[in-house]
Amino acid sequence: MTTGSADQGSRFLDAQLHLLDRQVLDVAGIPVAVVDDLELSDVPAGGELPVDTPPPVITALLSGPVLGTRIFGGRPPKSRRHRTPWTAVSKVGVVISLAIPGETTDLTWTERWVRDHVIARIPGGRHDPERKQNDGSTSKGGGS
Amino acid sequence: MIITDLLGARVLGPDFLGFVSDVRFWLDTKTIGQPAQLYGIVVSPHARSSSLGYERSGVRSPWPIAALVRWRHRGSFLVRWDDIERLDVRRINLRSGFTKVSSQLP
Repeated sequence: MTTGSADQGSRFLDAQLHLLDRQVLDVAGIPVAVVDDLELSDVPAGGELPVDTPPPVITALLSGPVLGTRIFGGRPPKSRRHRTPWTAVSKVGVVISLAIPGETTDLTWTERWVRDHVIARIPGGRHDPERKQNDGSTSKGGGS
Repeated sequence: MIITDLLGARVLGPDFLGFVSDVRFWLDTKTIGQPAQLYGIVVSPHARSSSLGYERSGVRSPWPIAALVRWRHRGSFLVRWDDIERLDVRRINLRSGFTKVSSQLP
């Protein structure tokens, strides 16, 4: 994995500074999400951690409707959070780049649903706009 | 566990020390696909909010904002994962004899 820092072999990432609220781009450079939260591997909560407990790792970037919970507290239900596995991250810089196309993630399901169920039913909605042969030709001499 | 369970949590050791203002991860960039593992927590004695990037030692502009943020986060320190004894919802206990490390980023 490459990062935005110089090649030093390792890098520190602060969650708030480097990861949260960052734009996520897919392998084609298309924006697919914003990082709203991070999922960590399980840690025994509520009990004393044994010495030499391995540190948790980031398992996924989470995106979802968090505006309400940021204002009023709480957290969105797990079913409303979209996971992007950390293994799909190829670069952490000004933006977070993925090594996979956005179509393969849950992040863009609303766009795909609207495309398939709404846009596709509109006449001409199943193909790209066609350019006419005489595009660019303009009529000269306005009528009187 | 999600990161917002940790951000803003109260840190005790055993007395109240502050709030988790950020969580620091260590990423091995030598090989592709390495996980980012939790390195430690940044504890701010006075504020739950982010340091807005001013934890980077070379960032000092614009100076009024830098001065305000550094004042709000005065006394901040980093505690490594090994010094964390217990993780509860919105509460973290540190081991006795924990070590305070500078929270500044290079």
